[in-house]
Amino acid sequence: VRVVVAEDGVLLREGLTRLLSEAGFEVVGQCTTAEELLLKVRSYSPNVAIVDIRLPPTHKDEGFRAAQEIRSRYPAVGVLVLSQYLELGLAEELLADSAEGVGYLLKDRVSDVKEFAAAVRRVAEGGSALDPTIVSQLLGRRRGDDPLAKLTPREREVLELMAEGRSNQGIADRLVVTERAVQKHITSIFEKLGLGASSGEDHRRVLAVLAFLGS
Amino acid sequence: MATAEPSRAIGLPSRAAWHRFRSLAALLAPKPAVLAAIAVAGVAAAATTLVLALMNGEVDHVAIRVFLNDWITLNYIGAGLIAWWRRPDSRFGPLMVAAGFVNFLATLDWASAAVPYTIGVALDLLAPVLFLHVFLAYPSGRLSRRLERIVVAGAYVAAVGVGLVRMMLGGAGPGNLIEIASKPQAALAVRNVQLIGISAFCLAGIGVLAARRWGPGRPPRRPLGLLVDSFGLALLMIAALFLCIVFVGSPDEVPAIEAVRRTAFFVVGLAPIAFLIGLLQSRLAVGPAIVSLGTGAARGNVLAALRTALRDPSLEVAYWVPEYERYADRDGRAIELPTSPARTTTLIDREDGTHVAALVHDSSLRDEPALLEAVTAAGGFALENERLHAELRARLEELKGSRARIIEATQAERQRLERDLHDGAQQRLVALSLELGLLEERFAGDAAATAALEQTRREITESLRELRELAQGIHPAVVTGHGLAVALKTLAARARVPVRLTVGLDGRLPERQEVAAYYVVAECLTNTAKYARASSAAVEVRHAEGRLVVEVVDDGVGGADTRVGSGLRGLADRVEALGGRLRVWSPVGGGTRVRAEIPCA
Repeated sequence: VRVVVAEDGVLLREGLTRLLSEAGFEVVGQCTTAEELLLKVRSYSPNVAIVDIRLPPTHKDEGFRAAQEIRSRYPAVGVLVLSQYLELGLAEELLADSAEGVGYLLKDRVSDVKEFAAAVRRVAEGGSALDPTIVSQLLGRRRGDDPLAKLTPREREVLELMAEGRSNQGIADRLVVTERAVQKHITSIFEKLGLGASSGEDHRRVLAVLAFLGS
Repeated sequence: MATAEPSRAIGLPSRAAWHRFRSLAALLAPKPAVLAAIAVAGVAAAATTLVLALMNGEVDHVAIRVFLNDWITLNYIGAGLIAWWRRPDSRFGPLMVAAGFVNFLATLDWASAAVPYTIGVALDLLAPVLFLHVFLAYPSGRLSRRLERIVVAGAYVAAVGVGLVRMMLGGAGPGNLIEIASKPQAALAVRNVQLIGISAFCLAGIGVLAARRWGPGRPPRRPLGLLVDSFGLALLMIAALFLCIVFVGSPDEVPAIEAVRRTAFFVVGLAPIAFLIGLLQSRLAVGPAIVSLGTGAARGNVLAALRTALRDPSLEVAYWVPEYERYADRDGRAIELPTSPARTTTLIDREDGTHVAALVHDSSLRDEPALLEAVTAAGGFALENERLHAELRARLEELKGSRARIIEATQAERQRLERDLHDGAQQRLVALSLELGLLEERFAGDAAATAALEQTRREITESLRELRELAQGIHPAVVTGHGLAVALKTLAARARVPVRLTVGLDGRLPERQEVAAYYVVAECLTNTAKYARASSAAVEVRHAEGRLVVEVVDDGVGGADTRVGSGLRGLADRVEALGGRLRVWSPVGGGTRVRAEIPCA
């Protein structure tokens, strides 16, 4: 899996590169500005670009704009946005058109090497990786006679993990249950939320869930 | 303070200052004996004209011609003497007197003796040029612009210089002492050139007067209108007369031209009368002006009252603000005193020389010192009052500016701090936790090591969380980075009560306004969570008609604390520093509603 990293902090950039290499990724490009990032994406066609949301020169939204541009111009390239702060509004913008090949994580998440590598891989393969904080904000935003209220606590847990972008296997590992049990919860959730059939690929289901939460 | 016209200082009403002004004027004034002597000489001149005309015997309509000549001579000398006496520092009076005497000297051509005859002929065309000079030199007696000097100088050359050439060529009949050759045709041609030339300069003079009257930028003082009209009419008649003589014939030959000549003489003699009417009006106007100033100023409109009293709609008043050592308008905004020659600045000072105000008025007001004096004296207290008002406004403006600058500087400093944290400590801690994560992988087999590393990693994650909260409290980077609309979504999502968020923004707004609006919403939602015991809140933000309006409403217990030192007071400071205002409705038991309006183009 080929990766481009755009991060202007030198310590973190090098740390990320080492982490990714040790986890079996091929880091084909490192850069510090949005401009270089777009250039590297165009010339190396990576599977995924990891982008710091604040890049020079103004450290305002250059990274975010670059991420959006990559998503519209190179749909085959997954984009994982890293940030010190998570913003619900930005998550919504990232998910607005599609939840395919997109991730939005707090920078702190890099310390859990396995989890982070799995998230990078999911995004590279067209899946998604949403930070749990964002997922809980998406869920918490809904009130009143919400179909979410009908979920059991366990089903709610499964829904949250699904929204983070995890596969059935990933959810099963996390909750220490069998994949069959997870499948059962998912079927029930889809029924209660009126999302239709729950069969099909993992990330299709994730998209359905995110579409529901984003609506 | 540089002004083209010399500024004059007038003292505020104090008996001593008034007295000093009187004695100063008396010192500069010509001795009454001199004025009286000139007056006697003027009457003698008029009588001489009569005698010469009677002795000549060849003058038609003696009575009318003598009357018209003396009408001009006496009017100019008389009005000139009055102007001289009233305005000793102006050349206008002496200039008028001179015009009157030159007009008399021109009638010497009725004399039979060679010397007076020659003088009379030589000065014949000088009188109209002096009238032109008088008209263009009003009110100061000086020609202030280059064009005016060129017109008058050209006319003098045509009248005297070219006139001598004509006389040398014998163009002045018998008895001319400076005749060199007798070439009547050439002399006639030269005379025509002279008359056409003077006519042209007179018409140019009308142009100058018209520009003065209808020139751009300011309404003329009302009494000036009549005067300028009479000057213009006189110049027009002089030009008409001369052109008729050239193209039709001499008045002595053509009766119709004689009518034109009489009209011209009459109109030229009217100008001093118009001048005297203006003086009289201003003298008569002093009393009513003071009364109207009193009532107008009492109604709080000092400027309008001064304009009415001085009959100068273009009048402006500037007030002295000692703290900034400059003049300001009524609203405290600093202004420069004008330097245009058409405007004169009269400084109004206290007895100790400190400034109160400056009147910027039409230059013709310099001609009416008594009016100006009386009106500024009567308006003194009102002006002092207005000056205090202007000073207060100036300080208020200054204060507003400094408050805005302080908040601006604080915000810039906070932004810098947040940036330093983000790029420094936060970045390092993230990199460090990443290293620990990698170490954990490496020692995966060693349970004790992994446990210790994981514990450390958690500590770092916790520090990062605290640091993040701290940095966000210092400056909401999301607002500057991604705009108010994005930032508000997170605020609403993180609030402890359900928030209905309505945002009507079209793209980004200026950073200062966005940040202020963000703080309003953040502080209000914090208050709602802490004190309101509300079940829900609503936030509405919209940008319309040049204002950013932020409204936060909750259904809690109300009774919010708006005293100095509370969070709401701090918000109000922030909003007011941007020229906006913050209002709070928080009846006990009735929920809380906070509304901020921030000007935002």
